[in-house]
Amino acid sequence: MNAAAEAMQRRHGDSLWNKAWRKFRHDRVGVVALLVVCAYAIVALGVVLGWWATGWADISGPKWAPLSSEHWLGTNIIGQDIFSRAVYSTRTAFEVGLIVALGATFIGAVLGAIAGFFSATWIDEAVIWLMGVLDSVPFILLVAAIAYSLQDSPWAMHIAMIATFWIGTARLVRGEVIKLKGQEFVESAHAIGLGRMTIIFRHILPNTFHVLLVQATLSFVAAIKSEVILSFLGLGVKDGMSWGLMISESTFEVLAGYFNNFIAASVLMFGLVMAFNMFSDALQDALDPRTVK
Amino acid sequence: MPAPLLEVNNLVVEFSTDAGVVRAVDDVSFSVAAGETVGLVGESGCGKTVTGLALLGLVPTPPGRLASGSIRLDGQELAGLDDSSWRSVRGRKVAMIFQEPMTALNPVFRIGNQMIDVLRQHQRITRRQARAAAIEMLAKVGIPAPDKRIQEYPHQLSGGMRQRVMIAMALSCSPRLLVADEPTTALDVTTQAQVLEQMVRLQQEFGMSMILITHDMGVVAQSCSKAMVMYSGRVVEQAPVTELFARPRHPYTGGLLASIPRIREQRIPELPVIEGTVPDPLNLPEGCRFADRCNKVRDYCRLAQPELKPIGRADSKVACYVPD
Amino acid sequence: MSPTDPAKPLLQVRDLHKHFPVSRGWLRKRAVLKAVAGVNLDIAAGETLGLVGESGCGKSTLGRAILQLQKPTSGEVRLAGELLSGLSGPALKRARRRMQIIFQDPFASLSPRRTVAQIVREPLDVHRIGTPAERRERVEYLLQTVGMRSNALNRYPHEFSGGQRQRIGIARALALEPDFIVADEPVSALDVSVQSQVLNLLAKLQDEHGIALLFISHDLAVIQHVSDTIAVMYLGRIVEQAPAMEIYRSPQHPYTRALLSAIPVPDPRNNRHRIVLEGEVPSPLNPPSGCAFRSRCPLAAAVCAEQEPALQPTVNDQQHWVACHFPGAE
Repeated sequence: MNAAAEAMQRRHGDSLWNKAWRKFRHDRVGVVALLVVCAYAIVALGVVLGWWATGWADISGPKWAPLSSEHWLGTNIIGQDIFSRAVYSTRTAFEVGLIVALGATFIGAVLGAIAGFFSATWIDEAVIWLMGVLDSVPFILLVAAIAYSLQDSPWAMHIAMIATFWIGTARLVRGEVIKLKGQEFVESAHAIGLGRMTIIFRHILPNTFHVLLVQATLSFVAAIKSEVILSFLGLGVKDGMSWGLMISESTFEVLAGYFNNFIAASVLMFGLVMAFNMFSDALQDALDPRTVK
Repeated sequence: MPAPLLEVNNLVVEFSTDAGVVRAVDDVSFSVAAGETVGLVGESGCGKTVTGLALLGLVPTPPGRLASGSIRLDGQELAGLDDSSWRSVRGRKVAMIFQEPMTALNPVFRIGNQMIDVLRQHQRITRRQARAAAIEMLAKVGIPAPDKRIQEYPHQLSGGMRQRVMIAMALSCSPRLLVADEPTTALDVTTQAQVLEQMVRLQQEFGMSMILITHDMGVVAQSCSKAMVMYSGRVVEQAPVTELFARPRHPYTGGLLASIPRIREQRIPELPVIEGTVPDPLNLPEGCRFADRCNKVRDYCRLAQPELKPIGRADSKVACYVPD
Repeated sequence: MSPTDPAKPLLQVRDLHKHFPVSRGWLRKRAVLKAVAGVNLDIAAGETLGLVGESGCGKSTLGRAILQLQKPTSGEVRLAGELLSGLSGPALKRARRRMQIIFQDPFASLSPRRTVAQIVREPLDVHRIGTPAERRERVEYLLQTVGMRSNALNRYPHEFSGGQRQRIGIARALALEPDFIVADEPVSALDVSVQSQVLNLLAKLQDEHGIALLFISHDLAVIQHVSDTIAVMYLGRIVEQAPAMEIYRSPQHPYTRALLSAIPVPDPRNNRHRIVLEGEVPSPLNPPSGCAFRSRCPLAAAVCAEQEPALQPTVNDQQHWVACHFPGAE
């Protein structure tokens, strides 16, 4: 019916990705958010490559030094440079975010797709049962349990988050796959003699990429936020530095009236989470095949 | 001749896409007399549905907009009305039914409640009166045991029954004009025939006018007195139905009529076709939009668009430089 | 038993059933939906059988059950003598080279994230036919055969119109040079002017390649042009089957007659009598006893409720089969 929609669909040499990108480019908030996220990513990359924030653990000044050209954000209770520590923590945030987002999305995609494809069989039931069980354990308890069983491994936090975050993705993918598997292009894949796994991973799963991408960005943000809480509770980052640990440290300082540590960590975290959320919204709009503008 | 019930002049509806502005309806003019049934025929994307939506102020805005033109219904100018004025026009003066009755009905409410809501929105009557009126309407559109059916949910009805319910709802406030967009396309042939006959009967009973939007020339032949053929956003031919079928003036109409699958006495080696496809609405040719598919095309056809001009003795118009 | 061809047919379908279990209500009462209830069919090589019926009559399910896309509940399907029903794994995969399907909805039948070349090439890849260079050549040849330009190769399905997409679907179905194709409402989603283009193309390709075709449609006018034989289906059963021209000339089953008379004729002066059927198609979960059509039949008598009429040849014509107690009666 809609000539406009059709006209838009008939642009030449155009994959669905190009179309989404064209739509995304017109979303100013989304583009700004993406630039902010990129800026953070460059900061994190610099830390990994040792360009800056190398002296985050050094005691380089007096305790609670005020803002100065030497210590841009002052120093903390034992005289470490707050700016370096906050910058270094960006790397931690990205590390946690990326590992958890990739892990959770991968597991969610695979299990969700398999459950959806074999819906109403025992395979589906098994995946649903697993999701139900993991979902019913309170998150903090699960982290504590995993941390305990892994003997204080630094990966306990990551594993716990992946173990819970994949569930949401899997539920969405499962629903999407159930919808897709009845479509004629899937039937035609059966008709030419393709195997079931090939059909799932070559024909069905690529059509859920829009869900996966959005879910990955959401997991990324959720991981960063959870990291802060877990580190604050002492269940998170074991070696290194993170915004959560900074906030945890700052509890004494705040009582004494020094807010630099607390504010630096909170503002940086807030900026990244906010930008990532807005980027994720814009991405969702751009990828949604239903919103044709 | 009395003044027509509906007069549409130079209607233009545009959609903005991020690839450019598309004119879905381009300079369309027509009129519908009281009690008349007019067919609006064309293939998908020709602008027939958008024209219908414009008559009810239902063009999705944005991205669409009524760029120019006038729509006069029963003496009232509708182009440029605000939302609340449109609401008072819709239902009472003009109503619409759609192709897919399942999506047009709300699946979580009983059909009775949906009908009662519509009735009470436009008339000051009690629930009980509205219910009685709803049952009466359902009986009129040929639904058996309407007092029982009114309790049911849309999914409990068959496609044909749902379309009848839609018709009953559209007619419940006695509109002067009914716009029916492919009302029988989603139905099976045998049901299609029933529903179509019922619609013609009701149209005569209520003395209303009807615009029947369809891609099916057979449907037009059976139920309309006048027809307009649209192609790529423009009306290319307009004529009394008998005239249109007996002597199509526009090569597109002729091609369309010839390519309709019909039951033949003898098998023919090849079905007649119109070669090629509809032009890209973002990249329209300068001249006649049918030129590339036309077997009578002349050089001058590609220079400027032909105007819709009267032809012959009957009330016919055609937009072609070389009409048959 | 059935209207069999004396020459050995390519496709033989014997007493095919496809039932679906349906659970109803919160007590989960199991009911059985008999979508296909005992169908016999033969299609000779290079021949087209048109299968016509209204939505829900089981015609699409029949097509998919023949292709083993849905496992038949019982009955036999043989393609060139090989028993298909019961095949699985590699044997079924091998059999799939010989049979293909063309779908109704040209917008859902092509994977949206793959290019045209990938889509048409995939059957060749799956069955390891030819070298990569040969495959590329064959894809180009196939697209040419269905009337697409070669610049279509690296474009995506959404860039094409419905008719062009249907051509791509046809190219994919032809890739493996099958002996038998099920075309499930291949033109009903297309515009009239494009419909005839695709129908002509199908007829031409079938002629050239000698493919046996099961052409499924709800439209008796569309089906006439392509079919050699026409079978009319109602509630999972074939109620009439005859050579194409014959069925239009002298329909014997009251349902066939009603279908024929219901087609809107593009001629405003035509005021022929139309048989308007009473009521609606009954639920296949609960079909009437005896003849499934009796609840809407103008000729229904007591015997129709008691006995299901068998599909048998009419008195005058051994090629014309009908399942009715009163065949030909007005």
